[in-house]
Amino acid sequence: MEPNEVEARLRPVLGDRLLSVDPFVGTAGKVRFRPEGALDLFRAVRDQLGFLHLSMVAGVDWVDRREVVYVAWSDTVRQYLMLSADLPADAAHIESAVPVWPAANWHEREAFELLAIQFDHHPDLRHLLTPEGYEFHPLLRSFKLHEPEELEVKTRNV
Amino acid sequence: MSEMWINMGPQHPMTHGLWNLRVKIDGELIVDVDPEMGYLHRGIEKISEDRHYNEVITLMDRTCYVAGMAWEHLYVIASEQALGVEAPERAQYIRVMADEFQRIASHIMWYAAFVQDVGLMSPFLYGMRDRDLVLDLFQSFTGGRLTYEYNRVGGVRNDMPPGFTDRARKVLDWLMDRFVEYDHLCLGSDIFRRRCDQLGVLTAHDAIAYGVTGPMLRGAGVKRDLRKDRPYAAYDRVEFDIATASAADVTSRYLVRMEEMRQSVRIIRQTLDWLDHHPGPVIADRLPKWLGAPYAPVGREGYLLRRNYPKGVGFSSVEEPHGEAQAYVVNEGSEHPYRVKFRSPVFANLAACKKYMIGYRVADIPPIMGSVDICVGEVDR
Repeated sequence: MEPNEVEARLRPVLGDRLLSVDPFVGTAGKVRFRPEGALDLFRAVRDQLGFLHLSMVAGVDWVDRREVVYVAWSDTVRQYLMLSADLPADAAHIESAVPVWPAANWHEREAFELLAIQFDHHPDLRHLLTPEGYEFHPLLRSFKLHEPEELEVKTRNV
Repeated sequence: MSEMWINMGPQHPMTHGLWNLRVKIDGELIVDVDPEMGYLHRGIEKISEDRHYNEVITLMDRTCYVAGMAWEHLYVIASEQALGVEAPERAQYIRVMADEFQRIASHIMWYAAFVQDVGLMSPFLYGMRDRDLVLDLFQSFTGGRLTYEYNRVGGVRNDMPPGFTDRARKVLDWLMDRFVEYDHLCLGSDIFRRRCDQLGVLTAHDAIAYGVTGPMLRGAGVKRDLRKDRPYAAYDRVEFDIATASAADVTSRYLVRMEEMRQSVRIIRQTLDWLDHHPGPVIADRLPKWLGAPYAPVGREGYLLRRNYPKGVGFSSVEEPHGEAQAYVVNEGSEHPYRVKFRSPVFANLAACKKYMIGYRVADIPPIMGSVDICVGEVDR
């Protein structure tokens, strides 16, 4: 599958919520979309393009904005497809992909705690790797290593 | 009956690492599960942002401490892509050989631990004995037994020592005979079959929806292997078959891993033959100076000389012993990666645990969790 084919099949569904489909080495392309088109895009990518498998959700902090990258895989064309959206840094939120790909669950929890990206309508948005009540987001650029941090961990009732 | 939550972990013989499996039980029946991770979270992705490209390789060994070579390989492919460097062909073959030896070592480690979970003690000792031979080989060409630091951005650190290929062939011959014994010990054991058959069933449909990869997915009959689907290094130049099984239960995962080890032996034999007849460089000769010498990282002051670092995003995926690992490396024109994201296969396999655990009994937890082959280091990173 080529980037222009991906764009031709997604454009009717998403309209101007689809920004562009750029070539990306070793994949079917990198789809850039507006966050409000997230769920429609996920459904179209899964049901119409056949990318049944969500591999990961990665977040990148660009300081002025936050990028969230979804990597999907299709068993029929045997290729990856990247989906990327830019979120504003002061209100980074996007619709959760869990209703479409249950695989997104833990990946989104991780991006939520480490990169402070809010996933709307996520079924279980708790901390995964850091303790409950940990109020830092370590993967943000503003979180510097080699500086002392003051940390008070609330214990969880089990 | 009243339901209750029990904690299996963080210290429990079943966990094989530091994590906590919270299980909601109704009598003996598992009603709900909730893994609690993060006990081993070292922030590898964050530390990587503060390190030079070749220094991250040290961390990759620690990401999964039983499959360090595969993770090194994953990271160097992504970095090479981001920086526009290409490894020579001999290095590609060496990487394939090292990856497959790593797969054997990892699967034997899994075998030893898993079979002990099921209740058989002797296979554990046999497994550890045979894994040691593979680790000896690793030691002879990398100097390390668990943490190798062998791959470099642009190739591998050094070539094979003299006589290595012959020693390796002897080990492979020995292992092929032992695999037959392993099967006799397990598949011939009534205890093993009763504890593993039709247990922890994860259908192909659920496995794909939950992003499960590796032996768990192939055990459900899905013929998916990145080494074939998206060949990297020299995998397109070696012959092997994808191991699958159809029952989607614990036994099928056992069968898949056993067959994978045999296929690994087949791959390694081909690469050894190739390496015997094709001497050459093992690291790209036109590496940018700031990337550091192949044997030792340059000093901190060396980094300051460089002005215009290349920019780019690298994405790679390899078939790690546990499944499909991915790396996403963003390079923003500095001597450190701007952002590194790793996708751990065990992370996804474990996230699907509600699908293959609910409905079974408390005594089934060790075999089911054993068949997932959990490596907490790569889940928490």
